[in-house]
Amino acid sequence: MKLKNGNAGLLTNFELMDLFKSRGADRGNLGVANTLSPAEMKVYDYLEKTPAGSQTRENIVAFFKATEQYKLTKAEYLQVSNLRPASAVEVHLIVEDCDERLSSDAVDQFLGAIEEILPPIPELEEPAAEGDAGEEDAEADGDEMEA
Amino acid sequence: MFMLAELQDTLKVPPQSLSLALQDAITQELANLYFDKVLKDLGLCVTLYDISKVEGGSVFPGDGAPHFTVDFRLVMFRPFVGEVLIAKLKRCDKAGLYLSLGSFFEDIHIPEHLLQQPSKFDEEEKLWIWNYNGADMFMDLEEDVRFRVVQVKYPPIPIEQEKDARPFAPMAITGDINADGLGLVAWWS
Repeated sequence: MKLKNGNAGLLTNFELMDLFKSRGADRGNLGVANTLSPAEMKVYDYLEKTPAGSQTRENIVAFFKATEQYKLTKAEYLQVSNLRPASAVEVHLIVEDCDERLSSDAVDQFLGAIEEILPPIPELEEPAAEGDAGEEDAEADGDEMEA
Repeated sequence: MFMLAELQDTLKVPPQSLSLALQDAITQELANLYFDKVLKDLGLCVTLYDISKVEGGSVFPGDGAPHFTVDFRLVMFRPFVGEVLIAKLKRCDKAGLYLSLGSFFEDIHIPEHLLQQPSKFDEEEKLWIWNYNGADMFMDLEEDVRFRVVQVKYPPIPIEQEKDARPFAPMAITGDINADGLGLVAWWS
């Protein structure tokens, strides 16, 4: 084994979820044969219960556009999309030097954008969000955020 | 929480896999070799992201299988230092809290000195309590805990292990909950 690049980019929970779905992890969608191992399904089951379980590609793109002005770093965006903060104290945790970079109005607007665009955490009983079947075969290449 | 790692490896594809498409045969070999395993300093391998190059296919004298040099990318679970994560509180003792992420990663430790101050361990309930302005905040089991990653360690494999020791953890995360917004998710909502 030869290591070429140990850090070839970060992956959001949503992107990994999308990758698993394209290999048939979604139990509600029988169109793609499930080729995942039990270990991979464990990770998928975990992701299903995080905010990534209900996000779609459109949500994420719209969210990035709407919050461009706050100039967050990629690592901060990654955590916002993974955790979907719902209160100011959570935004302060994720955004470094939040007091200096965002005014309290900006934090409120930022939370408003999250509330409006990113869907809430999926209910436990419901199967994972559907409706992005069209993207299943989309190439995953180039989606990762380069660190 | 997840990131990609680019690797190159020389794989031996066993003859019984040669009836498969080459890509599937190689994926199978990579799955056997890497999935659900911890690579030192890279993290826990979750899945294969893609295969970028396959070269070779040479059969060495006296060996009935082709060898391929494969370039590929793996999805690794390796949170960065400073990342905020949410995990479930599984057990606790005097040394602190132990958390687990889903059922795929269970070696997250919040040591005693990184809990909110002042916190104390209740011997009767066997739980940690955060004393916030005179109110006792219990850290109950099975609750979601938000924490910040302080360190990711890859302990060396022990040569000898005591009989009743917990299973060896090849990758261990140390977390911190001593800040506003950290600790039980229920406290802050």
